[in-house]
Amino acid sequence: MKRDRNLPLTETVYYVLLALLKPAHGYLIMQKVEELSDGQVRMAAGTLYGALEALLRQNFIKPVQTDDSRRKVYVITDEGKRILRLDCQRMSHMIRITRKEGLQ
Amino acid sequence: MKKCRLYLDLGNEERWLTEMAKQGLGLSRKTVFGYEFRQIPPQDTVIRIDYRNFNTPADFEDYRMLFKDSGWEHIAGTKSSGTQYFRRTHREGETQIFSDTASKAARYRRLSSLWLSLALAYLPLLISLIYSGTVDPFAFLNPRLLYYTPGLWDMAGESFLDAFLFETPFAIIRGLSWLLFPALICLCIAFAAKSEVQYRTIKHGREGGFE
Repeated sequence: MKRDRNLPLTETVYYVLLALLKPAHGYLIMQKVEELSDGQVRMAAGTLYGALEALLRQNFIKPVQTDDSRRKVYVITDEGKRILRLDCQRMSHMIRITRKEGLQ
Repeated sequence: MKKCRLYLDLGNEERWLTEMAKQGLGLSRKTVFGYEFRQIPPQDTVIRIDYRNFNTPADFEDYRMLFKDSGWEHIAGTKSSGTQYFRRTHREGETQIFSDTASKAARYRRLSSLWLSLALAYLPLLISLIYSGTVDPFAFLNPRLLYYTPGLWDMAGESFLDAFLFETPFAIIRGLSWLLFPALICLCIAFAAKSEVQYRTIKHGREGGFE
């Protein structure tokens, strides 16, 4: 089976997509990513901005209309959910196979 | 207060501006000619530079808000100025505006494509100058073409020397002005190459990347 060329996602991209299952603006995404990753992944502003730009280009996220005219709010797209699910399955397999090979 | 300086390396520029802020000079504006500072209480801060242009004012505003929310005040730069200057507002905050090497390197990629597009913008100008006959590219191989006096190279003796010396200053000015665009194009290509090298160096981790 041919693997989707967007896989594997980087750790930051994975967490950004996960954070965007609910709509959020830039700074909120940064906080959510830190929280979801148990403080392991802390994104700086320039890095997050570039990541959002790339995800928009790939159609994995889209802007949503809000009252806040100064901050853009984004949410994950169906295509984004699909790729997130695929990457989750990829990692589940790795965990399953690692246990099966005897590493606890 | 204005200071006229030219930095070709973003890292050196960041260090210099951080040092200025520590001495009580806060950057307030950046123009093509240099930097404008205003007096501020000396502060232990960090100045960082991003390189980005924006399509719409809303994009620019959203960008600045993201930095503001995460502890970086936008102090200089406009929608299409390219360089965007930020000052760290929280003492305990991050000292970097990039948290991975890929995005830190990407800044140099954007800078490199700017220089390349500038070089490409000058190119049609140079070609049209050549086609219209204003600039003769063969003069760079044969400087005699820089002299316009009819029959100059058939003259001899004193009349040649007189005519030759008379026109030489004009020929020099002509030659230098013809060199302007080719030189600009070479300069832009050189800067593009430099940024591209920095991009690759950081991306492939030969430089530590973070200070």
